[in-house]
Amino acid sequence: MTPVAVLGTVLMGAGTVFSLLAAWGILDFPSPLARMHAATKSASLGLALLAIGAGAAAESWALTGVGFLVAVFMFVTAPITGHMVGRAAYLAGQVDTLVHDDLAGVDSEPLRIGRPERSVRRPLRWAALVLIWMILWRDLAFGTLIGGMLVATLIEGLRKSFADDTKASLAGLVIFLVRYAGMVVVSNLRVAWEVITPRNERIREAIVAVPLQVGSLNAALLVANAVSFTPGSLAVELTEEPTTLYVHVLHFSTVDEVRETVRSLERLAARVYPDRTGEAVGNG
Amino acid sequence: MDLVVTVIQATLGVAALLAVIRAVRGPNLADRIVALDLVLLLLAGGIAAEGARTGQATFLPVVVAVALVATAGSLLVARFIEWRDTP
Repeated sequence: MTPVAVLGTVLMGAGTVFSLLAAWGILDFPSPLARMHAATKSASLGLALLAIGAGAAAESWALTGVGFLVAVFMFVTAPITGHMVGRAAYLAGQVDTLVHDDLAGVDSEPLRIGRPERSVRRPLRWAALVLIWMILWRDLAFGTLIGGMLVATLIEGLRKSFADDTKASLAGLVIFLVRYAGMVVVSNLRVAWEVITPRNERIREAIVAVPLQVGSLNAALLVANAVSFTPGSLAVELTEEPTTLYVHVLHFSTVDEVRETVRSLERLAARVYPDRTGEAVGNG
Repeated sequence: MDLVVTVIQATLGVAALLAVIRAVRGPNLADRIVALDLVLLLLAGGIAAEGARTGQATFLPVVVAVALVATAGSLLVARFIEWRDTP
C-alpha cells in the first residue's frame, strides 16, 4: 500500500469511529438537545472523513474531490439542521433540563430577510454551481444540464435570503478554516471522551445569550455556523438589534466562559468579513 | 482493503442499529428525526466506503443525494414541529 492509501484508510477508520460515537451518543445522552449535539456533528464529521478517506484509499482524484465536496456540504448543512431541529424542540417546550436559560421569554422572531444582491458575481456563482453539478455526474447530457440549472437556481434563490453583500477575504477564510478545523477536532475528541466514559453527571445544559460584535450579517452567520459545528455548543437562535446569538452548551460553568469561546470565533470571522468602515470589530 | 471496508460497513451497520433504537424509543418527534437523519448519514458513509473497495466514483452522486435528502427531511420536520407544537 502506498502512503496515500494508508492515510486514506486511517481517515476512514477515524470517520467510522466518529459515526459509531454519534450513534452511541444519540442512544445514551439524556435530553433531546444533548442528543442533537452527539448526532448531527460527530456524524457529519464521520461522513466527511469517510468520503475523503475513501477517495484517498482508492487513490482516485475524482473520488477525493467529491469527498471534499461532501465535507463542505456537511459543514454548511449540519449546523443548519441542528439549529432548526433544536429551535423547534425548544419552542415546542420539549427541553426542560436547562440549569440556565437566557432564551426564556425572548420573542423568537426569525432573522429578517436580506436584500437580494445585484452584481456580476451572481451569474458567475450560478455558472459555477452548474459546473459542479456536471462534474458530480461526470456527464454532459442535456438532461443533466437542465437538472444542474434547476438546482443552481434553487440554491441561488435560497441564498439571497440568508446573506448580505459583505465581501469575504480569501486570506481570512483560509486562516479561519485552518484554525477552525483544529478546534473541531479537539472538541470532537472531547465529546468522544464524554460518550465513552460512563454516565453523564458532567452534563449541565444551558442556553446563554451572547451579544455579537461583528459588523455584518454574513460574519454573524459564519459565527453561528461555526459555533454549531463545534460539538458541545449549538446556536439555537440569532436575533437582531442587538445582534445576539443564543448558544446551547452541554457543559455549562459560567456565562463568561461561553462568551469567551464565541468571541474567539468572532475574531476569526471578523478577518473573513473585514469591516470596510474602518471600525475596530471583534477585538473585545 | 476488502476486509477493511467490510469491517467499516459492519460497524456503520451497528451504529445504524443504535440510532434505530433511539428512533423507536423517541420520546419526541425531534429525537426520532435526528435519529433517522443519522441513519441516512451512516448509509451515505457506507456507500462512500464502497468507493474505496471498487475505486470507482459510480456511487458518489448517491452519497451526495442521500446526504441532501437527510438534511432536507430534517429541516422540513423541524418546520413541522414548530408549526404543530408552538402555541
